[in-house]
Parts: sequence; structure tokens; C-alpha cells
Amino acid sequence: MQEQISRAEIAGGAAPSGALVHEDTTAKWFLVSSVAYFFIVGIVAVVIAAKFVWPELMSTIPAMGYGRLRPLHVNGMLFGWLLAADMALTYYLIPRLCGVRLWSETLGKATAILWNAIILGAVVSLLMGWNQGLEYAELPLPLDVAVVVAWIMYGFNLFMTISQRRYPAMYVSIWYVMGTILWTAFVYLTGNFAVLFTTGVNQANLNWMYVHNAVGLIFTPVGLALAYYFIPKASNTPLYSHKLSMIGFWSLAFVYVWTGAHHMLHGPISQWLQTIAIAFSVMLLIPVWAAVYNFFATMKGQWHQLRDNVPLKFLMSGVVFYLLTCFQGPMHSLRAVNAIVSKTDWIPGHAHMAVLGAFSFFAIAGAYYMVPRVWGKQLYSDSLANWSYWMWMIGGIGFFVTLWLGGFWQGWQWNNPAIPFIDTVVALEPVWLVRFFSGILMFAGILFFSYNILATVLGEKPKPTAA
Amino acid sequence: MADYTWPSIYFAYSYFVLMVLGALVFLIRTVKDGYWGARGEDVKYQVFDSHEEREEGRTS
Repeated sequence: MQEQISRAEIAGGAAPSGALVHEDTTAKWFLVSSVAYFFIVGIVAVVIAAKFVWPELMSTIPAMGYGRLRPLHVNGMLFGWLLAADMALTYYLIPRLCGVRLWSETLGKATAILWNAIILGAVVSLLMGWNQGLEYAELPLPLDVAVVVAWIMYGFNLFMTISQRRYPAMYVSIWYVMGTILWTAFVYLTGNFAVLFTTGVNQANLNWMYVHNAVGLIFTPVGLALAYYFIPKASNTPLYSHKLSMIGFWSLAFVYVWTGAHHMLHGPISQWLQTIAIAFSVMLLIPVWAAVYNFFATMKGQWHQLRDNVPLKFLMSGVVFYLLTCFQGPMHSLRAVNAIVSKTDWIPGHAHMAVLGAFSFFAIAGAYYMVPRVWGKQLYSDSLANWSYWMWMIGGIGFFVTLWLGGFWQGWQWNNPAIPFIDTVVALEPVWLVRFFSGILMFAGILFFSYNILATVLGEKPKPTAA
Repeated sequence: MADYTWPSIYFAYSYFVLMVLGALVFLIRTVKDGYWGARGEDVKYQVFDSHEEREEGRTS
């Protein structure tokens, strides 16, 4: 098998004979910008958490109101940080899995520039209040069109790279990335364009299909692509079973798209549609357990590596959060549970465990693994990386658990018509205080991570030996 | 404002059907391409970049 290294790893010297040298410029551009957005939007997240405790905080400034900051936080984290980081990591891993260079670094760099223009446009427009008022689809129409163009550029580049691959058989991460590209096209077009031509309940139904599949058919498959690549790489252990990974992929492909209507249980949509959503939500246990079992079986005999391998710590903690969030999802799609937790703080607790606890952990692990290699330098500080892990773990668990318990409690109160609504708001204050302090810890994780990555990129700590 | 609810629903669900059909085609292709056969596990060693890393991974 041909040796593959990054251009930066040879540091001006000659590449080993027969080695495939990757430029990785696109991956670098996407990663640096995604980490910058992670930090900036992290500040917004802390301000929002503070507003729950001190609602009057900056309330006289229109751009700092909850209604404008909340969509900025959601879109910034989803598209500015996570999707951009995922794109960076797929620009890194797809050429390596295919044994060829990226089809076009020029197209990749153009995509990175366009993506940054979109995110900066989103920051301005959302702060100005230019908002379409649809969950996860708040961006103004011109920016939606730009996202489609950028996605076509990204997808075309990766599909061309895959079409020129050296190895005929495709590793499961390639399947997941291809799925992400196609499913995102389907999900994004539906959620941002088709939905504009509908009204009433049908619009709500389409919007929830988009919202749920934004997580299920965009962030889940690309997150799993990263986990399937980086867990074997970081532990230097082959995947337990490629066939099992394929079962997970195909069951996800067939099951996920039907689950969105579980957001409208007990609502004014057909009972058959609600029942289908519940049945398919429970069936999600198949792809989830197939993936999680595979990761745990891969780690058999390798758990000792977690002591000092930071990327692996993030990866395996992400797997545990993935298991928990994907057990929680099917369970709260059951009618009896949904009657209590729907629309409560339970839901953001669940969503944060998926997007931060699972998929961001996979992306963070990938960044810690990739950055020293593509910049040809040692990580600035292993100790700081470890601290970032513990800040996220402690803050994250505090955040998730508080919102589940608080959300359940909130739901019980809402189900009691004798309790005035405002009393249920006042009762949640202690929950929101813990949420705020957990948020501070998570922001410390973001700060340590961003600083570590930036210091590695700008620093002068060369790698002791070439990979 | 004209209500395009039904055309939109038809668009969304036909797009979905198209995706399912595509998935079925490629699922069948995986059988033909040997992903489920005796050598179906070989592909997992592609994650290792060099021959040494690959051999190390095989024996771990």
C-alpha cells in the first residue's frame, strides 16, 4: 500500500520514494475558519444561557435580543462550526481513503471562500433580524441559494475524487460521506425551498422533517464517517467488522427519513403519519446499535489507550453520547413520554448531547488528529487538549442532565392545568442557573481547544519525526 | 397568495422515493461488488496509510 503524507510533513525536504503527497490546503482553510466560528458562536451561547437567568441582560439592544441571538447560535454552531469542520475533515480523509489527491484544491479553496462569505452573511443578516422564521432555516433566501451552490462545489469535488480512486472497494466512511452529500441536498432543498410554498400544518410537517433530518441525514452520517475513520486511526486498530458497518449504513439510509413527524405527536397531523414516525424512530436503534457495537468491539483490548490518547478520549466519549442520545430519541418519540417532554427543556438537552456530545466530539477528535499532520507540527499542548476534554465532559454532563431533569419537571407542571404558566417559568430558574455555569465550563473547553489549535498552526514546534 | 401545498408535498415525497430507489440500486450493487462476500472485510485496512501501519493494524 502506498505511503500517504501531507505536504507540510516533508517540510521542504524530499518526499519518501513512491509516497503520495497531499496538499491539504482546502482542509486547512475550512478547519481554521470552523474553529474561529466555534469560539465566536460559543460566546453567543454563553450570552443566551445568561439571558435565561438574567432576562434583562442587554435587552434594550435589538441585535442582542434572544430572538436574534438564538438563531445565530443555532446556525453558527451547525453550519459555521460543525458542518465546516466536518467538511474540513472529509477533505482530509476522502483523498487518503481513495489513495489519490483531492480532485481540485482550487475548487476546494473557492468553496471555503464562499462558505465563509455565507457564514459572515448569516451573522449580519440574523443580527439585523432578517430571518425567515423557520426553525434551522432562518437564513434569508439569497444565502440559501449560496449554500446550495457551495454544496454542489463540495459534492462535485469529492465525487470526482472518489471516481478516480485507486482502490475499487470503498471503506464505509466513503459511503457515509457520499450519503451525506446526497441526503443534504434532499433535506436542504426541502427544508429551505419546498417549505416556502406550503402553508399551515403541511408547512410545519415539512419543516420538522427538515429539522430532524438535518441532524439525522447530515450530521449523523458525516459524524459516523469521521468516527469510522478516526477510531481505527487513533487507536491503530482495524475496525471490528466492515460488514456490520454496512448494515448500519443501509439501515440508516432506509429508516431515518420518516422520523421527523414525531415532533408533531399529539398535533393536528394524521394519526397514521404520527404512528409511522414513532415506528421508524424506534427502528433507529438498529443503525445506532450496529455502529456503537462496532466501535466498542474495535476497542476490545485497546481501552488502556484512553489514558493518554486525547483524540481517542473524545471519540469514545462521543460514541457513548451517541448511544445515549439515540436511545433517548426513540424513547421520547413514544406518545406517553412525548406528552410530558415535548417542547420542554428536555429537547435542547437531547439536541445538545447529539450535536455537541456526539458529533462535535468526533469533529474535535478529528481536528486534534489532523492538525499536527497537515501543518507538520507537534500539537502545542497535550495537557491543554486534556483540559479541554474535561471542561467539555463536566460542563456537558451538567448541561445535559440538568435539562433532562428540568425538562421532565417542566413537562409535569405543564400537564397540571392548576399551575399558572408563569409559575412554571419561575420554578425553572435554578435549572437555568446550573445550565449557565455548565455553559461556562463548556466555553472553557472551546477556549482551550481553539487556543491549542491556533497555537499549533501559528507556532514553531516541529514534529520530531515524519509520519 | 397561491397555495402550492400539494405540489410541494408531491415534490418532497417524490424526491424521497427517488432517494429510496437510488439507495436500493446501490444496495444491490454492494452485493455484486463483493462487500458481503468472503473478502468483504479486506476493505477495512484501507484506513492505514502505509504498508507498515497496515501490517501493525492487522496484528493488533
